[in-house]
Amino acid sequence: MNLRRTRLYIPGNNPHLVENAGLYGADCVILDLEDSVPLDQKFDARILVKYSLRNVDFGRSEKWVRINSPDTPFWKADLEEVLPYVDVVNVPKVESYEDVEMISEIMDEIEDKHGVEKRKIVPIIETLKGLTNAREIANHPRVVAMAWGGEDLTAELGIPKKKALILDHVRAEIVIASKSHGKMALDTVYSNIRDEEGLFEYARRARYMGFDGVGVLHPNQVEVVHRAFRPEEKDIEEAKKIVEAAEKAMKEGKGVISLNGRMIDKPVLERARKILAFAEVD
Amino acid sequence: MVEAGTLEKGDAHVVITNADKREIAVKSKLERIYGDAIRKTVDEMTSHIVGKIYVEDMGALDWVIRARIEAAIRKFRGEEQ
Repeated sequence: MNLRRTRLYIPGNNPHLVENAGLYGADCVILDLEDSVPLDQKFDARILVKYSLRNVDFGRSEKWVRINSPDTPFWKADLEEVLPYVDVVNVPKVESYEDVEMISEIMDEIEDKHGVEKRKIVPIIETLKGLTNAREIANHPRVVAMAWGGEDLTAELGIPKKKALILDHVRAEIVIASKSHGKMALDTVYSNIRDEEGLFEYARRARYMGFDGVGVLHPNQVEVVHRAFRPEEKDIEEAKKIVEAAEKAMKEGKGVISLNGRMIDKPVLERARKILAFAEVD
Repeated sequence: MVEAGTLEKGDAHVVITNADKREIAVKSKLERIYGDAIRKTVDEMTSHIVGKIYVEDMGALDWVIRARIEAAIRKFRGEEQ
């Protein structure tokens, strides 16, 4: 199971930050071509990101690139430059299934040209239209997870982001939309990089809301989030017993898994496996 | 004239200007250790360019210098941003 508890944003035009991106143990590294890159550096940035993907050791981190949004003139050139070398394409401001399909078709062409496997997409839902269509968007075969961002949404609604009660509903909708199609749900960033305690509570809340991870802006945030996503010891022990019982039942050719006289059904087994993955137990 | 990269730490700044003959100039913070290697990279990558190529290295890794040179070459050829 791929863990995506942390996805660390790195500005795509800063070689000094890019070259160290794999050192922090984040589950995913996002080389950003969007908001952190000024307009007059877009061209240089996508070439730098291509070279970094080919040369830098990103360790165990999944390699993501956040391209520019489909309503800009940059996203196709971003894909043409970097797609063969990435694991996941992170697409901002996705508003419909058709947006994903349009991007997917260009990805098909580039993948065919370079003879590489299909790359994954993680759309970012940032508008009311996107939120309305989130359940359809999550159903696209390339989509492996959905993320969201609150700036545009709260601007559309004319409310300050920090006081926007509606964002809890948005979070819930992202989780429901993603999970109803078996995809991961990823919460947005906690922007106060000095507030470790606040980040821990934020990540814990994200976890209990049903999210599989949160975005991080600073390497110091990685360990805190991983700790927040680590299951309780008693849950890990219980999960180990369930998985062992399942393995034993499979060896013995039994169709039914039981533990201490209790039948274990498929969702319980899946949850146990997920707990062990989050606990990083093989 | 076209340019690529920045003068930030770990980066390189590449400038290509029109000229009648080919000319390469490299300035590096680590001239004694990497100067010749950088000049070789610049020479290889820009062998088809007639113009003045100036590279200022701020302690960049080889792949960073190559990325900045490629960006400058493509801009020099008129590739749109």
